[in-house]
Amino acid sequence: MITSLAWKNVWRNKTRSFTVIAAVTVGVFAGVFAMAAINSSIVQRIDAAVNEELSHIQVNNREFRSSSDIQNIIADPGEVVSVLEKTPGVTNFTGRIIVRGIASTAGGSAGVEITGINVDREKQMFTLSERLIPGTGSYFDSDTRLNSAFIGEKLAKELYIIRYILTPEAFRSLEEAGIPAAVTEKLRSIEGERFPTEKKLSEACAGLLTSGEMKKYSLNIREAAWSYREGSKIILSFLDVSGNQTGAAFRICGIYRTNNDFFEATSLFVPEDELRRLTGLEEGQYHRFIARLENDDLTGKATSEIREALPGLEVLNWKEIQTDLAMITDYVNQIYGIFMVLILAALSFGIVNTMLMSVLERTRELGMLSAIGMNRRRIFSMIMLESIFLSVVGGFAGMAVSGIVIGITGHTGINLVKYSEGLEAFGYSAHLYPTIGGDFFIMLTVLIVLTGIISAIYPARKALQMNPVEALRGE
Amino acid sequence: MKVVEINDVYKTYRDTEVEVRAINGVTLSFEKGDFAVIVGPSGSGKTTLLNLIGGLDQPTGGEIIVAGHHLSELRPSELIDFRMEHVGFVFQSYNLIPVLTAAENVGFIMNLQKWPKEKRKARTDELLESVGLADRHNSRPSQLSGGQQQRVAVARALAPRPEFILADEPTANLDSKSAETLLDIMEKLNQEENMTFIFSTHDARVMKRARRVITLEDGRIISDERTNHNS
Ligand SMILES: Nc1ncnc2c1ncn2[C@@H]1O[C@H](COP(=O)(O)OP(=O)(O)OP(=O)(O)O)[C@@H](O)[C@H]1O
Ligand SMILES: [Mg+2]
Repeated sequence: MITSLAWKNVWRNKTRSFTVIAAVTVGVFAGVFAMAAINSSIVQRIDAAVNEELSHIQVNNREFRSSSDIQNIIADPGEVVSVLEKTPGVTNFTGRIIVRGIASTAGGSAGVEITGINVDREKQMFTLSERLIPGTGSYFDSDTRLNSAFIGEKLAKELYIIRYILTPEAFRSLEEAGIPAAVTEKLRSIEGERFPTEKKLSEACAGLLTSGEMKKYSLNIREAAWSYREGSKIILSFLDVSGNQTGAAFRICGIYRTNNDFFEATSLFVPEDELRRLTGLEEGQYHRFIARLENDDLTGKATSEIREALPGLEVLNWKEIQTDLAMITDYVNQIYGIFMVLILAALSFGIVNTMLMSVLERTRELGMLSAIGMNRRRIFSMIMLESIFLSVVGGFAGMAVSGIVIGITGHTGINLVKYSEGLEAFGYSAHLYPTIGGDFFIMLTVLIVLTGIISAIYPARKALQMNPVEALRGE
Repeated sequence: MKVVEINDVYKTYRDTEVEVRAINGVTLSFEKGDFAVIVGPSGSGKTTLLNLIGGLDQPTGGEIIVAGHHLSELRPSELIDFRMEHVGFVFQSYNLIPVLTAAENVGFIMNLQKWPKEKRKARTDELLESVGLADRHNSRPSQLSGGQQQRVAVARALAPRPEFILADEPTANLDSKSAETLLDIMEKLNQEENMTFIFSTHDARVMKRARRVITLEDGRIISDERTNHNS
């Protein structure tokens, strides 16, 4: 009875209740959506780290990570294979040979980590092949496979394999993208000119266009001018097993683009057999094994099992390699919780205010209720329930709206490319796909109910201070 | 049978420099089935006396005994339960809960007393019928006239069968016709249910309907007369 009375009381002053409910709705939505958007980058970053860069677990020669001497191979690869095969949760694994070296072209050179891979197995284990930039080739297609290299866009830029030229096709694509003719006409004067970097292109364009036009179209221009000479070659040089300088020309079979600039700039992949031939490493010799698990929750357990079985080797999981990421995931829920507490604390002032008004204007009625025998506990719970209804109705509406909006944007994504340069340098995507765990909503529900309860305390006490005789006097 | 015993009761207000003796040595009792009115000039202490009898306020001296309870011995929370269980109240106005229907208002105290649903419903129907509002079950107080609201208030006070009903100037806000109807109903219920009614009034016409008239002046009883117009 108290519950239904409280519910009816909430709707006595519809405008006022609706206003505070709307405030809670908007506040909760804003909070949840912001959380989900931030969470998106973290989830994507972890996804990328596991699916494109690290895999779940790696096994190295103990010395390898610190010295990366080509001699630091895994002494007994057979043992590693048999351990990985019988560790529960491991779905796939492969060996890698890794050498540090220099990649160079006529335009420049850069230090790289050259990874010799078993192309077929890696394709099953990683999604890096899906990161191929369309039109730049393929992920080791069979015929040119042996001396092919799969490199990152960042490295390609550093080596001037990617340049910027406003070709006639580029102009056509600009027109298709709806860039006004007035703008493209101004750019005609640099048609066919080669710009080795984005910056040089931008400078040239800035000289021709107004700053407003630059702001609007520079991204389209850069995309249209992006050009890559198919089949470009790079020279890779490194030391072989006997310590002699060696190297070879590799044909670039494809260029990938990820959100991690550092990875793009330094990680270069070639087929394992070719690297063996050049370095003199023998069949079956590896520097590293990487393993994938059924799911990420198994990481800790599988790591310790493998570590125990292979005491002579270094066994690491992605959390131990990317400690920053692991830390973020560990603290992220707490941070979200604190953030929501702050939002709800702000909203609770609105609820307190509304409830106080409602209590004060019902002085006589509350006096009458007490006179006819409604005890303090019942009056207190009635006021408390009214306040909880305000916060819960608003909170659930907010969660429902967030659920819908996250559902939609989580699918379509939110494009932040215009502001993205800073983000991508750190390996975070500029496309957000908001997402948030179900347990967050459970925690939030508890917080919302608590908000209602806490907001009710002061108004409910005020209601109890009422003396029925005083309240009813002065009619 | 005595339902209320008041022995040498005093109530003094001291909140300003002057001391007001609102009730100044009253000894009085009410019998089961009384239909009594308290009259007297404004400020004579009618409201104060009713509040004391109803356990809304505590006397500064003397003793009030209702249904075996010595009211001055009850703690504030016990007083609330006492009121719920033993006293029916009808106030001058603001009697009803605006968000509840007439029927829900009538059932409210029975609800507080945790009556089973069917009994509550039967009693509500019976009383709304008695007060002539059988067709207004689902009306909100705002949809009822002042007289109809007071009738609902009487039905609510009566529903859980309290020891007695206290009504402080129940007709003060009503026109004479509605006041007449309300009194007819109170009288009828007094007879049908043998319910004790104690009310106060300024209105001479209301006064005439009572079978016992207690006159107060300056907090003292100056007369207590039983009239024998058996209707
Ligand atoms: N809370 C209070 N504080 C101080 N004095 C009070 C208080 N309540 C009542 N009084 C005083 O007690 C006296 C009796 O008041 P009471 O309200 O009982 O009179 P009443 O007979 O009901 O008058 P009315 O016919 O105007 O309703 C008055 O002098 C009044 O001013
Ligand atoms: Mg009075």
